[in-house]
Amino acid sequence: MSDVRWLVWIGCALGGLGLWCSLPPRGASSRALGGVLGFSGLGFLGAALPGLADGVSQVVFWILASVTILAAAAAVTFRNPVYCAIWFGLALAGTAGLFLFQGAQFLAVATVVVYAGAILVTFLFILMLAQPSGRARYDRVSVEALVSAASGAILVGVLATTVLSVLASSDARQHALQVPPHERQQAILAEDHVRQIGVHLFTTYLVPVQLVGVLLFVALVGAAVIGARGNRAPENLSAPSGGWTVQKSEEVATPPLGRNHG
Amino acid sequence: MAERELALLNGYLIVGAALVGIGMVGFISRRNLITIFLAAELMLQGVSLSLIAWSRYHNDFGGQVLVLMIIAVAAAEAAIALALVLMLFQRVGSLDVALWQRLREASQPPLVDHELPPESPEPPPVWPKLPPAGVRPTIPREELDFRPHV
Repeated sequence: MSDVRWLVWIGCALGGLGLWCSLPPRGASSRALGGVLGFSGLGFLGAALPGLADGVSQVVFWILASVTILAAAAAVTFRNPVYCAIWFGLALAGTAGLFLFQGAQFLAVATVVVYAGAILVTFLFILMLAQPSGRARYDRVSVEALVSAASGAILVGVLATTVLSVLASSDARQHALQVPPHERQQAILAEDHVRQIGVHLFTTYLVPVQLVGVLLFVALVGAAVIGARGNRAPENLSAPSGGWTVQKSEEVATPPLGRNHG
Repeated sequence: MAERELALLNGYLIVGAALVGIGMVGFISRRNLITIFLAAELMLQGVSLSLIAWSRYHNDFGGQVLVLMIIAVAAAEAAIALALVLMLFQRVGSLDVALWQRLREASQPPLVDHELPPESPEPPPVWPKLPPAGVRPTIPREELDFRPHV
């Protein structure tokens, strides 16, 4: 067990280092190094995992998982927000594949349609309005890159070691044996999985589904109201003609937006 | 069979944890409002992955229904948040989150930008060079008389 724990920690440290190497202020060569580090970190993490029974599903799982994680890392580290959004789309496709691999057909389709089809396109519309090219100053720097990458690596390491040690106990095996395989074949993995999830949605979970519908409606109205009225700035908040800027290091410490507070 | 289910659960929980961690790093360290928002969505994806894995492990549809709720909440969140981002962009003309640091706690020091090394200028676009090919067409005499601009 302890060697597995070491593998997980080495993998997380390499991944965090790779993420730090590829966060914005770094150049292209550092990004390449970050990619290599991240890939080897993934390898260490994968070596810590128990293998699936047959080789084909193992390979499929590896491909889907590594595509998802690497695309997520790219979505977070690219300078140009348009590339970020496109890599995020690839990460979504990877998660949809992982959903499908677990037998969640409906959710895989819903993820592609709703996330990649609607939410991501909305993102891209907003990005087109802003016309970013990744050369703006705020895209070229990141806040506390080393600290955030280290805290991310520690978070993943703690979660992964906890998961591995808990699921290696005999208790977990007992729980896994409690669901006989044929029951799983009749519910989650059944041919009529989509019908069953529909039945569950409109019987057991009827009230939450209605509540989510109300939430969506309220969000729609709210977005319309914000979009219609939001750009009329009140007088005491209107921007100065030169636009607002973050103060430079040598300037006197006046809060950039605080001029109306006096 | 139990081994396979356990291994699947293990793998999915760790991939979900990695997505949440990467999303957290992006959320903390990026300064573009839209990239921050993408990172938050990545964290939601990580949670969805672990819910799906638990749903299969316990043979219960609750997890999958909860993921459906997450998708709906993410759609609502995207609508509101993008309207807000658009409004903020129209006010200051920039997607920089540090422009809104007036909203920080009173005890927190302000974010101060340090000088960046000047970025190398954008390289000029490289167009392909095509060698001239073919022969110039000969235009018949009567056509030149008829349309002198050809």
